[in-house]
Amino acid sequence: MSSLRARLLLALLGLLAAAALLLGGLTYRNVRAQTEALFDYQLRQMALSLRDQGEVAPAQASALVDQQLDFVVQVWTSDGRAIYASRAHEALPQRAQLGFADVVVAGQVWRSFSVTLPSRVIQVSQPLAIRRQLAADAAWRAVWPLLLLAPFLAAAAWWLSALALRPLQRVAADVRRRDEQSLQPLPADGLPDEVAPLVAALNALLQRLGQSLDTQRAFVADAAHELRSPLTALKLQLQLLRRAGSEAERSAAAEALAAGIERAARLVEQLLALARSEPGAAAAPLQPLDLSELVREAVADTVPLALARGTQFELRADAPVRIDGDRAALGALVRNLADNAVRYAPPGARVEVLVAAPDGVPTLQVDDAGPGIPPAERERVFDRFYRRGQGDEPGTGLGLAIVRSVAQRHGADVELGDSPLGGLRVRLRFGGGGAAA
Amino acid sequence: MRFLLVEDDRMIGDSLRAALRMEGHAVDWVRDAAAAEATLGSEVFDLVLLDLGLPQGDGLQVLRSLRARGNATPVIVLTARDGPGDRVAGLDAGADDYLVKPFELDELGARIRAVLRRQAGRAMPLLAHAGVTLDPATRQVQRDGQPVLLSAREYAVLELLMQRPGAVLSRAQIEDRLYGWGEEIESNAVSVYVHQLRKKLGAEFIRSMRGVGYFLDTAKGGAG
Repeated sequence: MSSLRARLLLALLGLLAAAALLLGGLTYRNVRAQTEALFDYQLRQMALSLRDQGEVAPAQASALVDQQLDFVVQVWTSDGRAIYASRAHEALPQRAQLGFADVVVAGQVWRSFSVTLPSRVIQVSQPLAIRRQLAADAAWRAVWPLLLLAPFLAAAAWWLSALALRPLQRVAADVRRRDEQSLQPLPADGLPDEVAPLVAALNALLQRLGQSLDTQRAFVADAAHELRSPLTALKLQLQLLRRAGSEAERSAAAEALAAGIERAARLVEQLLALARSEPGAAAAPLQPLDLSELVREAVADTVPLALARGTQFELRADAPVRIDGDRAALGALVRNLADNAVRYAPPGARVEVLVAAPDGVPTLQVDDAGPGIPPAERERVFDRFYRRGQGDEPGTGLGLAIVRSVAQRHGADVELGDSPLGGLRVRLRFGGGGAAA
Repeated sequence: MRFLLVEDDRMIGDSLRAALRMEGHAVDWVRDAAAAEATLGSEVFDLVLLDLGLPQGDGLQVLRSLRARGNATPVIVLTARDGPGDRVAGLDAGADDYLVKPFELDELGARIRAVLRRQAGRAMPLLAHAGVTLDPATRQVQRDGQPVLLSAREYAVLELLMQRPGAVLSRAQIEDRLYGWGEEIESNAVSVYVHQLRKKLGAEFIRSMRGVGYFLDTAKGGAG
């Protein structure tokens, strides 16, 4: 049963039926109890008044006896001869117990009251069914107005529920009219208190959805724009290669083209890494791992670049540091930090990578002797595609964006500061979940 | 021809400079808006190739202030901004042409020639003077219908002179258009090129005015 209205209606009808049953039952019981007392009293009074009166005149006796109440009066002499019966009732016993008694005669229960006089016995009887009939009649009279009302109540309930549910239908129509582009909030004016929270929650969801869509659109637009430069370079490099006249020109052009391809590939790789680490991406679950070991492996990829630039690379990651993390994402993070440190520092400079857990806080720290980042720019460098100055190094502008995104997924703080080596110090502190081993 | 290339991307700049040099142009290359403003304020170029997305400033601003100073140097905008609004903004700011990245070198070459042609007030793509024709698109030179082989530098000198027959160009002016920054200028190079051109095109084709410079004699006539 999925319709609210039908449910309401059924519940109402059920309640009505229960009320009718209860009312009928109670009435029956009460009336029954009252009639018992009343009729017993009447039986007794009738018998006693007959006794006190002596001989009963037939007219008088018949007046006593209400036909409808089905009283039967019998009088016997003390030797058992019937001298009077209000009507012939051969089924009734000819002898009676004194006082009140229930007598079963031919499947019918009779209530009787008998008194004895020295000369005769007087018995007044009445079928019990009469009393039940009366109680049932009373109960029926109490119940039937309810049953008569039921259809009207049902119709009223049907109409009222439609009235009450109209705001919901309006909201549904509002939602139905929308396409996937219109994420404006639904109108919430005049909504009942029961529906307003639903609409408010829906509006909040729409807003979050809109923000997320905007972010995605901006990301795609940025990415498309950023891909243009490497592609333009590739195209020009290829055309130069084709035009090259001499062997020297050809080999220089081929080298430039290879560098261009390298750069485009790196940008695509970084875009993928960023897309994977963005909130909402289907990310791999965090698993326990040793940060020191992970950093040792990831930094190995930067070693060729460091060697080529004569960088003095120092890695201090000896003691295992346990954290819960996504191996691939953290690897990308470490590679980006190490690459940046080597790339932006002058050739031959020092780079130090440290993994430790001071005070039980798993920490990754990268120091370089490069130009550093002035405090005013330390927030902006995390923006996608933000590049500092012009620099000769072909950065993608995504490295630190990836670092922050991955760090956020791991609940880690990223802090940029001045390094004792003279350049930038990047420190990641993993909060919660990690502990030193 | 001497071009100024304003482009922040190292690879694109490298390739463009190499390609333009192959065609015999002198190319100076700056990589940000401030350097572009400074250079354009102090030196003369035949053409500017301008990227719009520059560090420390916007290419459109460079263009506007260039035009505000009354400088009519032809400017071709090279940019990744490809919305119709961007093109309109670029052209309205004073660009002579607008080319969206990525582009073909051939197309860039054609547009450069077209812009230079318009600049010189000519609609005909061929330059002709006294029986010598020069096709900037194919870089072919003919004398009385016979092809003449020229080196890139010789061609550049000839093109300069043929663009404005009758105008006298000094040696320094020609050198300036022939060499970019940092390129070594051989002494007497210009006289050597003129000498070679005279050998190939006729002794009277290029006239010199002692102490002033070189010119093509318009008295001898020629469609241009």
